Amino acid sequence: MYIILGIILGMLVPYLVRVVIGPSVWDRLLGLNLILSKTIMIIILFASIMGTTYLLDFAIIYALSGFVGTIFMALFLSQRNIQKGRGSK
Amino acid sequence: MIYVISYIVMGLGLAFMMFGILGIFKPGKDFYYRILVACKIDTVGFLTLAIGMALRHGFSFFTGKLFLIVIIMMILNPLVSHIMASQAHKSGYVPSCENEDDAS
Amino acid sequence: MTQVLLFFWVFSAACIVFSRKAYRVIIYFGVFSLITSVVYLALGAPDVAMSEAGISAFATIFFIVCIEQYYGRGEGLKSEAIASRRKIRVTFMKFVPAFLFTAGLFLLFVNSVPTGYAFTELRDQYLRMFMQDVGGENAVTAIYLGYRVYDTLFEALLLVIAVVAVTHVSWFSSEEVPDGQHSEIENSRMTKFTMRIICPIILLFGAYLIMNGHFTAGGGFLGGLAFASFFICRYLVLGIYDLPIKKVMKMEELVFINITILPIFAVFTGVVYLVADVTPLFQNIYLVAMSALVGMKVACGFFILFYRHIAIERLPADIDKKE
Repeated sequence: MYIILGIILGMLVPYLVRVVIGPSVWDRLLGLNLILSKTIMIIILFASIMGTTYLLDFAIIYALSGFVGTIFMALFLSQRNIQKGRGSK
Repeated sequence: MIYVISYIVMGLGLAFMMFGILGIFKPGKDFYYRILVACKIDTVGFLTLAIGMALRHGFSFFTGKLFLIVIIMMILNPLVSHIMASQAHKSGYVPSCENEDDAS
Repeated sequence: MTQVLLFFWVFSAACIVFSRKAYRVIIYFGVFSLITSVVYLALGAPDVAMSEAGISAFATIFFIVCIEQYYGRGEGLKSEAIASRRKIRVTFMKFVPAFLFTAGLFLLFVNSVPTGYAFTELRDQYLRMFMQDVGGENAVTAIYLGYRVYDTLFEALLLVIAVVAVTHVSWFSSEEVPDGQHSEIENSRMTKFTMRIICPIILLFGAYLIMNGHFTAGGGFLGGLAFASFFICRYLVLGIYDLPIKKVMKMEELVFINITILPIFAVFTGVVYLVADVTPLFQNIYLVAMSALVGMKVACGFFILFYRHIAIERLPADIDKKE
């Protein structure tokens, strides 16, 4: 189990790289979304290693409230780009 | 015995996620390719990992909560990908060869 | 394993500090708060991690609304000049100090991970005396008992002050409430179908957090955040302009008065501790009631903040644009 946890922790590195070097802001948003799902997996693995079930509440609240931020960022970014006149490009 | 099967299934999920990493770093591809590959592979990888963990824990309270998380993720992850891609398309984002970055 | 997480943590913090563009900072902040929560979990503080999980989504929304306000009023031109400078030099100047900063802080963190416990007098006293002082089952939810009630009271007072400030330092007075802007994906059938499944789960989970708060981590604050995210989901598909905002503001004040009154009659007169030796039933009823009140308070407060920010504050900029 610890090996799988280590591999998923190592997988955070490419997503962080994609967030940092992403050529556009949408790539960064994609990286943020992927890091969110990796975080949920890490919490589930924690709970499985410790053998407790109350840690799974974290994963539920992440899955339920984490997507709201991403959706709002997508909405506001697209509206802002339309207002600035980039839609004609 | 069941532990070996669960490890194999979880390793399969990790392999799916590795394909996702390959997808988001393939050179010469644009944002729409990346979002297609990464989000689809990621959802499948999460599902496979959760199936492996459910095999490991058997029929218990842990598996019930895990099932709820899997349902939520299976519903919400495609929705978020869909909204991101559609809003990027609506805002007129065209991935071009010039290094286009948003100001501010 | 903790060291690896600390490295990611410090790296994302350095990215926030050394980035010069506002939208990138928000995305880095999202990554930072995600990793922060896992770090808290690994260091053994589950309830703080849970609060961080709830807060990160709302902080992202409020930040992006404020930045859109700022750049929507003609300030966006200044930032395009920055982007058109020489790219390589900016990148070099940005990443080398970030890397040095990260490396130095990482060394500091690795050397400062606690290996043992410091036996100070204060820690000893807290561990020994919390059962006698407050008499709860759980050291975390004991903030509703004994002298720790003051903690809860002042936190609720802080949220009341924030809501009052946002309501009064606003573009519109509280008498006229116009029909604001709707969300852009309101007619999306996929979103409607998904929210029809997700919204009952959110409500059920919030009720579960409030009812179960005195046994596990969680409690009133997280339940209130879950209810507030239900309102946000309703904004995405239906709009929230048919909800009575004035009644919600009245209700928030009433709930705050109840939060103040209930401990006075239950804790400071000692009613909670009367039958605590025989049965903890009355104490549990009091804890669940306080959790429900705090949850209602947080849900109303975040709903008012969200309504003013999203619906009303966005109007003048758009009107200026159209003219």
